[in-house]
Order: sequence, then structure tokens, then C-alpha cells
Amino acid sequence: MQRIYKNTYTAVRWLFFHGLVTLFMFCGTKAQGQHKQYNFNNPGNECFMEYILNPPNGVFESIKRPFVFVVGKQGETAAEALQRDSIWKEPAFHHYMFVYLPGIVARQTDRLRCIETLTSLLTYNYYYGHDNLFLKLSDSAITDSMLTEARLNMIFSAICLQDALPSSVISSAAPESNLFKETAIDYENYHRRITDDGTGTFFVEEEQKTTNSEPVSDKAEKNYFGAPTRQHFTLSGMVRDKSTGEALPFATVMVKGTTNGTSANADGYFTLLKVPTDTSVLLAQYVGYQTIEVFLNPETAGRQLLVELPSQAISLRTVTVVGKRDDLVLSGRQEIATMKLSPKKLEQLPNTGERDVMRSFQLMPGVSASNESSSGLYIRGGTPDQNLVLYDGFSVYHVDHLYGFFSAFNSNALKDVQLYKGGFESKFGGRLSCVTEITGKDGNSKRFNIGGDLSMLSTNVFAELPIGKKFTSVVAFRKSYKGFLYNKIFDKFSSTSSYEVPEGGGGMGRFSQETEVTSYFYDLNAKFTYRPTDRDVVSLSIFNGADKLDNGSAFSAAGFGMQNARFGSSSTDLTNYGNTGGSLKWGRKWNEKIYGNTLLSYSNYFSERDRTQERTTYDNDGNATTVKNGVIENNDLKDYSLKSDYEWDAFRNSKIQFGLFASWYDIDYNYAQNDTTDVLQRSNEAALAGIYLQTKTRLFKDRLIVTPGLRTSYFGQTGKIYAEPRLSMKFHLTENLALNAATGQYYQFANRVTREDILSGSRDFWLLSDETAVPVSSASHYIAGLSFENNNYLFSAEAYYKDIQSLTEYSLRFDPSPMGVSYDENFFSGKGYAKGLELMAQKQSGKFNGWVAYTLGEAKNRFDIYGSDYFAANQDVRHEFKVVALYKFRRWDFSATWIYATGRPYTAPSGAYTVTLLDGNTRDFFTVTDKNSQRLPDYHRADISATFKLLGGLRGDKKRREYGYIGASIFNLYDRKNVWYKQFMIEDGSIIETNVNYLGFMPNITLSLKLR
Amino acid sequence: MSCNKAENSHFTDTPIVESYLLPGDTVAVKLTRQTPFYDAVTYSSDDINNLTITISKGGESFQLIPEGNGKYIHDQLHIAEGDTVSLNFRFNEKDVSGLTWVPAKPESMSQSVTRIYLPKIDSTSGFPGQGSMPEPVEITWSNPDNSYYLIIIENIETDPELIRELDEDEDRPAFAFRKAPTSNNSEMLRPMEFEYFGTHRIILFHVLPDYAALYEQNSSSSLNLTNPSTSISNAYGIFTGLSSDTLMLEVKKE
Repeated sequence: MQRIYKNTYTAVRWLFFHGLVTLFMFCGTKAQGQHKQYNFNNPGNECFMEYILNPPNGVFESIKRPFVFVVGKQGETAAEALQRDSIWKEPAFHHYMFVYLPGIVARQTDRLRCIETLTSLLTYNYYYGHDNLFLKLSDSAITDSMLTEARLNMIFSAICLQDALPSSVISSAAPESNLFKETAIDYENYHRRITDDGTGTFFVEEEQKTTNSEPVSDKAEKNYFGAPTRQHFTLSGMVRDKSTGEALPFATVMVKGTTNGTSANADGYFTLLKVPTDTSVLLAQYVGYQTIEVFLNPETAGRQLLVELPSQAISLRTVTVVGKRDDLVLSGRQEIATMKLSPKKLEQLPNTGERDVMRSFQLMPGVSASNESSSGLYIRGGTPDQNLVLYDGFSVYHVDHLYGFFSAFNSNALKDVQLYKGGFESKFGGRLSCVTEITGKDGNSKRFNIGGDLSMLSTNVFAELPIGKKFTSVVAFRKSYKGFLYNKIFDKFSSTSSYEVPEGGGGMGRFSQETEVTSYFYDLNAKFTYRPTDRDVVSLSIFNGADKLDNGSAFSAAGFGMQNARFGSSSTDLTNYGNTGGSLKWGRKWNEKIYGNTLLSYSNYFSERDRTQERTTYDNDGNATTVKNGVIENNDLKDYSLKSDYEWDAFRNSKIQFGLFASWYDIDYNYAQNDTTDVLQRSNEAALAGIYLQTKTRLFKDRLIVTPGLRTSYFGQTGKIYAEPRLSMKFHLTENLALNAATGQYYQFANRVTREDILSGSRDFWLLSDETAVPVSSASHYIAGLSFENNNYLFSAEAYYKDIQSLTEYSLRFDPSPMGVSYDENFFSGKGYAKGLELMAQKQSGKFNGWVAYTLGEAKNRFDIYGSDYFAANQDVRHEFKVVALYKFRRWDFSATWIYATGRPYTAPSGAYTVTLLDGNTRDFFTVTDKNSQRLPDYHRADISATFKLLGGLRGDKKRREYGYIGASIFNLYDRKNVWYKQFMIEDGSIIETNVNYLGFMPNITLSLKLR
Repeated sequence: MSCNKAENSHFTDTPIVESYLLPGDTVAVKLTRQTPFYDAVTYSSDDINNLTITISKGGESFQLIPEGNGKYIHDQLHIAEGDTVSLNFRFNEKDVSGLTWVPAKPESMSQSVTRIYLPKIDSTSGFPGQGSMPEPVEITWSNPDNSYYLIIIENIETDPELIRELDEDEDRPAFAFRKAPTSNNSEMLRPMEFEYFGTHRIILFHVLPDYAALYEQNSSSSLNLTNPSTSISNAYGIFTGLSSDTLMLEVKKE
């Protein structure tokens, strides 16, 4: 089957490239009834033949009718075959079209293929009437297997072999009038019916007999066999989902058999340069979708090409599909340091309760998987704040729900996620490490759709409503409920802040506790898209999500030991945080070569943390004294941005991308202890604006792609201009083997600063850089990689080195200025580096797929305040190993993952000492170990999951609509006690060390339903 | 990638320095070790009682003489106001150094009264009402540059009489008490703060910020784990200069 495919291709290519195929269609003048004779190809061509069209009713035009192809005996001409044949005279065949072909002489298989191509030509879009195509052969040398090989039994509804009998599939026992009987087809509505059926994801039942299950659809599109009319031209178009009409961002379109390809932009538009001919074959790919071949013809190639990818039918036949890498939910790409994820198939991976894009990326090399408490990604030794997270174009500053166990992104609202792990292009900026680009769904443009999920953590509803042909909308809402899973995670965190019974009340007193905890998270995504023309798209995307975590309690007690004294006490532990953001975008394809979009956005991250104890004491007279102590920490960030990006396919070999951006930041942070002392209060506003320019140039017959770029920014706080030159290149050694390299300079103007807290875990907060306390940080990237990719496998190795300057950390451990004069002095600056090697082997298709990934990494920092040596950064992990295995069996998807990671470093109290003061008293102090000199135990964990698809229709139906699934997963299968962090309490001069662990064994069930 | 065993050590044997440099006194430095929280820690092989400790002052260097128990002295090395003094030695493969200076003697120190009268408090008298207590004693000094000062009040009688009778199981209070360091130019001594009758010495120390910080930091704070700031590198403790002035106060029984 593969061979045929290839042979066909070779033949077609041979035909085209030798320029021999010119289709001669002349009207035959030989009068014999109403038939006409034509030539197919030129003399000398292996497919050259004279053939005759013979419509009994004399109408040549309509192709929407049954066709009978009749092939003469060996040596017979078409005319002779016509003369010998008589069935066209039967009244039943009056409106049929008869095509007479000469007999097949030699190399039957090749000639049989010529029949296929001629059939394609004559029955332009013949798949409308596939049921009504019939073939009659008179050559006894032709066998079943030849027909199979030439795919003729896939094309014709019935084949009659006149002289060679019998056959299991092909029967001629019945009279021809029965065998070639027309199947009633409503041609006018046939296409519509297919489209309607095509909305949604389908499950195609395995056929009992799968001796040859070559998919027909690929070939069905081939409908032009003429000579090319244009060569080396630029083709532009759009890629979208066939069933929902969603534009597919970053889908790959390439000229088949070459390395000439391109990626669509975020709106699904693409421009492919240097297409060899307007009869070339294109391959269009997108993770989670069937790869399709697009057969260009002069008509389609001349206008905006619409490529529609069918969502991957859950067919058991996919294993036989050639060159399809569509089975993966998550894919490494040959592009440097880039990964791609399809939210559509996310349920295939194990989860903790929610399908989660950020969690899923953690299964890939270079992305740390051992931070269960952070949905923010630790990539290549970088911290989450160094990752630019763009959601429909606006920055999202905090991506955690419920202490980071879940990300803020509802996968029902997403259609595409790209992750650039480093060396990213000039279009992106303002971050040191990486970029996560998330594109929300536009909504089904064809039909109304509604759906929802119910898991042990949350309920999730979404609706998609198209209005007319130009307007689409999608709204998704998710809210947690205090179920088993939520509580387990919540308690895990909040138990670490267990309330201490106030002195005096303990033991002797009678106390009551009232706890009313109201905690939840929710998020809302909405997007409205309007496409006034096929060149313009305007969309408004809104995102709002928040967490409220309340762990407060109240005590009141009457202390027996204190006579009549009473005291009341309440503990507040309230954390509110969340994001609100939105973007209004206008994208326009100005012409074939220029695409631009302009985006206006707003993003707000807020975090309010109130962790205080209020204690009220009453004396004998009933006078109340209230003492409040604890920590109040608030952070508020606002980002108003305007961006304009353009792509101009200016030259045959290169495109130019440029744009401008301007942001206004307003960041406040307030940290107060004991309700009176403002330890730190900062409020900064600043503008950041700049431009970028980059070109993507192809050299050496597309083997080398070089992308140099420059981004320059002006930052108001410092009043300086920052230039960021960047360069990346890709060199195709062979079609499958590519060398990648990238380097670049990166600046970050808003940082999440770590506030070191050894006893109860460090926290961080966003601050705007300034000239003094928090400098503008910068990084240089150096990346080199080698990747091999064929239809089934991807092997990649990538090495990186990242040099980072001007990191900031905040610590109250050191007190350069006693008496608390200026806590601003508690900001410390340092530098760092991260280096590593990532290896991955991925099987990209088949029933059984998955990957193995290994990362060797090192991330070290140097802060003068912690000593003169480099110390392991908080996120430093030496070895990380991941195995992901996915298996499909009929309606089931099974997956298993195993993760191993070296423990992360920490700092611990190490000892105590005493100083004698001038008054003769002594004071005890504690010392800590060298910064991050300790290591938590190694992290490892296995997860498994099984998903069962819910199908509409009846058992036995060949094609059944998928309307949901039931998923069961187990997180941390063998209940490994992984340490999250250590908590220390110092009591009576000794230290009590507690391991705060991550989640243990955790089962979950999800029910997901959708209309289509 | 570096991979050495020391990386995972729970404990670094960092010495503790304790040295106060007062004008007129000779130099004395006391070295101790930390008490580790964990068992089986590795100590440096250096003998903390027999190190080569150098004090430099005014361009001259002096080697201290070990006296045992981590104590090092130099009989001839006298400290004067305004001296800048440095400390150097090597311990556990690290150079330990400290630098400090001796602030000027407090100026214009004065007190609002030289004698106060307090009632004797016992189980029969009950606690005195606010009205019967005398006004606080105000100590003032000149502090134009807002530097740090600290007051210590010390009873200098050999066997002073308690103002307030003790419960049976109560320990005898200390003979001295102190006020928190301040960068103001006055301090109030409230009558309630005195525990004994008799003559008290009021010492006003002019201290440096690092010493003031020792009082300020609450080492058992659950909020954080703060190391006292120190002018010493590669060691903990205190190496600071200070100077003092003294006044006397009588606490008489009513």
C-alpha cells in the first residue's frame, strides 16, 4: 500500500516534471451514435490512450450521474471495445455515462493506475458519486491483487471482470444490469450532508476485514491532471478545522517531498513561498488532526487556499496511514526549542483532576516536572516569571489555581499552545527564558455546540455559538467545588499553617473553635470573533479567574489559670488572587504577502494575603486589649499594552517580520508585619515601548533557514534603551535530519522577586525594575541541537547555556541597617547561569505512542550576600527522566507516565550560638546552612489513566459521533511521599523539622460531555 | 557539573566572635563554635583555642595571645576613642575578617533627678496606684547625628533590698536592667523598672549599628530567621567598638 502511494506519486511527479503530460481533449468527429473520442496524454506517455465517451442520452456535460468504464480486451482499441459492448443500449443505463478504454497490453499494474487517473479526471470530484462508479474489464490476466494494488476497488463501487472468474470481492455472477445498478444519490445535497456529519469527532469502527485499508480521502482530492500553469509562485491561504471552522494557528503547510514549508500564524493564515508548481501536492499538519494532502490545481492555487483539516477520527485504521503524525497530544517539533500541544486531545494524558495544558508540558524535556505546587513552568533552569505567558496576546502574570496544583487555563477554551523553551524570536520580549503562547478557541463557526465536564474537583461548562457566517463566540466557565479532591489539596497546604493555641489557653483552658472555611477557584473565558471579510478577523478575548483561599478560624476561651480573665482570638488566613485580562485584536491579510495584526490589551494580576492573628484580652473590668500580629502582603500589577505585528513575504527567499509595542505598567507591592509596620511598600509605574525587526531567509535550496532579528526597547524607569539582537538557524542535513542553533539577548523589566523565608517557605511577588533596588535583568541564550524526524519517530538532542545578570532576591535574613530604617536595602542582586542537555525519543504515531525524555541540567546563582560562591538556584535539578506511554484500543485510551527528578535544594537552620551582651545577659541566635546547600529527597511518581469514549449512534454503526468520555486516572500510583518543602520550628533551642509532602495516591474520575 | 560531598553538609563550622572594644581597655576576643542542630557534623580540624589572630590599628598589627577557652588577649594593646580596628584570622579554610571603629564618648549626659523615692511593696500593701509613683527619671545626652545609644542601669549595692517582695517560688531578679537601643537623645527610666533600693549606676553606651541590631533582632521570630548583621565576614558574632559615660541614681525607700 505504501508502495503504491509512492509509485503514484513518483508517476505523477515524473509526468509533471518531464512536462509531457498535456491533456489533449479534442472532440471526436467519428460519428458513431453520440459518442466522442479523446486522447489522454501524449503519444509516448505510459498513460497515453484514446478513449471514448458515450452517453446514451447524448448529454455530455453532467458528471452527476453513474459512470461505467469499460476496458477492452488485450490489443483492443476503445472503438473496438465500444463496438463489442452492448449494455449501454439497455434502457436502464440511459442516463449513464459510458467510457471506453483500450485494452491493457503490458505492465498491467501501471496501466491500471492510468485508469485511476483518467477516472479522476473524468469524474471531477467523483467522490460525490463514488457509489455510482463502475468498471468492466475484459482482460483475463488481471487479478484481484492487481486491482487492489491499483486501488481500483476503492474507486469503483463494482468491478466486473468479464473473463476471469470468480472473485471474493468482485462478482460478475450477477447480470451487469444488477451489478451496475445506480445507487440513488441526492447530488445536490450530498455535499451538505457530508459537512453536517463532519461536525464533531467521529469514531470509525474497525472493519472486520482490514486487508487493505488505504484511506481513500487523500486521493479523492486529486482532480486535476493537466499541466501546471504557474511555477515557483507564492501561495497563501488559511488552515482551519474541517468540522468546527476554527482557524488552526501554527499549523504546518509544506510542499510534499521537500523541506519547503511554513507555519500558519496565530490566526491560521499562511503564506508558502516558492511553491514549485500550481499542481504540487501540499501536506498540511496539525497536532491532533489528520494530516492531509492538498492537490493544487491552477484554480485553487490562484486564490486564497482554504485547507480544512479533519479532526482525527478515532479510527483504528490510523496505524496504516502513511506519513501521519497526528496521534500525539503533545509534540516536540523540529523547530528549535519549540513544543506544541493540542488541548483537544489532552484527556489522553493522566491528570490530577483537570486536563491542564501547563501540567502537560511538564512531561516534556527541559520543563521541570517536580513542582506540583506550580503551574508556572520552570524551563531550562528558569523560573516561572521568566516565562512570558500570552493568552490571546495579553500577558498573564500568575497562572496558578489552588496553590499551583492547577493552571489558570481552562482547556475547554483553548485550541493551541506553543512553548518556546529558549532562543525565541524578536517578536517576543520582556522575559528572560521562554514563551508560552496560548490561543483561545474562536468557537464553532458552523454549528452551535455546548458541553461540559464534571470532575472531582470542578464543574466546567462551555458553549459555542455562531451567528451568521461571520460571527463566532465561545464562553467557558469553570468553578471548583469543595469536593474530596479540593479538600485534600487545600488541607495539604493549609495544615502547614496550623493554628497554635495561644499561650495561657492551652491545656488548662476550655476553648472552642469555629471554623467556616470558604475557598474556591473559578475562571471565565469568553471570546467573540468577527470575520467581516475573508481577509479580516476581529476578536475580543476576555479572561477572568481568581482563587479565594480562606483558612481562618476563631477561638474564644475562659482561662481557669487566669481567674476571671477571658480572651478571644481569631486567626485570619485569607488569600485572594487572580487575573483579569482581555484583548481586542484586529488581524488583516492586506494582500498575498502582508499580514498584520494589532492588539490592544489589559492584564491585571492581584494577590492579597492576610495571615494575621488577632488576640483580644479582657481584664477584670472587662476592658479589651487587642493585639494583632502576622503578615499582610498585597501585590497588584496592571499592564496596558498595544502591539502591532506584521509579516511581509517580501522576497522569494525571505520574509520580514516587524512590529512595535508599547506597555504601561503599574505595579504595587505592600508587605506589612504586625499590622502596623510596613516592612516594604513599593509602587512603580513605567512605560516600556519599542520595535522589532527580523527576517527569515532560506538559503541553499531551503536547506538553511536563518532568522536574524533585533528588538529594541525603551524603559521609562531607567530611561535607557535596551537592544536585543537575536539569531536562530536551522540547517537540514537531509530531509529528516536537522541542525538547530540559536542565540540571543533578552531583558526583563518586571520581575517576580523571591522573598526568602527559610522557616515557612519562600514566596514571591511582582515588582517593576528600577535603577536601584531591583535592576533590569538580562540573559544571553546559546542553544544548539540536532533532531531527526520521520513519519513515526522524532529523536532530538539539544544543549543550552543561559547566562543571567541582575537577578533580585528579597531577604529579611540579613539586616544591613538595624532599627528597620530602610527595608528597601533588603533587596539583593546577583547573577546566575543555567546549562543543560535535553534528549528525547518520541514515537509519533500508531496505536502505541509516547516518548522518553532525559534532561541533565544545572542552574546556579551567585549573590554576594550569600557568599562568594555559586550556589544551586532554588529550581536547580540535576537529572530529570520522564516516560510517557499512550495506547489506544478501540474506544479506550490508556496512558502511563513516570517521572524522576533529583531533589531540589533548600536552606535549613543548622545551629545556634550565644552572644553575651554588655548588660551581662546572653542572646541566642540561629545559623543556617550555606544557601541551598541541602537537597530534598529525589522526586518520582507514576500516574496512569484510562479514557473511554462515549459514542452516539448504535453499536454496529460504522461511523459514530463522539459526544464525550469518561476518564479515570490515578495520580501518584504507588503513593510516593515526595517532599514539597521542609518546615522548621525552633523550640527551646532545638529544631523541629517537618516534611511537607506533595500529594499522595489520588484517584479521580472525569465525565465530559459535548453536543458535538 | 560540580559534584562534591560538601554540597550536602548540614553544617558549616563557622566561628563565633565576641569582642567589645572600649576606650582604655585592652583588646580581648572570645571565639566559640556553634551548637549544631544535627548529629554527626564535621568540625574543622583547626584548634579554636590556638589560632593566629591579628588585630590591626593605625597601620600596626598585633598578634593576640591565646589564653585558653577560646579567649585571646593583648596586654599592651589599648583602645582609644576614634580608633579604627580590624581583626583577621583563618579558620576552616576561610579568612575571617572584621572591621570596626570606636565611637566618641557620649556628650552632655544628664539626669532629671539624682534621687527617687519608692514605696516598699509587699503582700499586705497591694499594688500601688499610679498616682503614688514618682515621675520617671529622664536621662538626656547630645546626639546631633542620630547615632545609637544604649542605657544599662545597674544596682551596685552588695546586698540590696528588694522593692517588691517575692513569691516563694520566684527567683531573685537581676541587679541590672537595660533599655532598648535608641537613636534619640533621651530615655525615660520608669520607677516600675527598678527592682532594688540603693545606689544605681546609669551607663550610657554610644554604640554602633551592628551592636544595636543585636537587640533589635528577634531571633526566635517565627516570621523569619534573621541572622544578626555583623561587620565580620566568614564568622558570626559581634566585633564592635563602643564608649560610655556614667551617672549615679539613688533609689530610696519612702
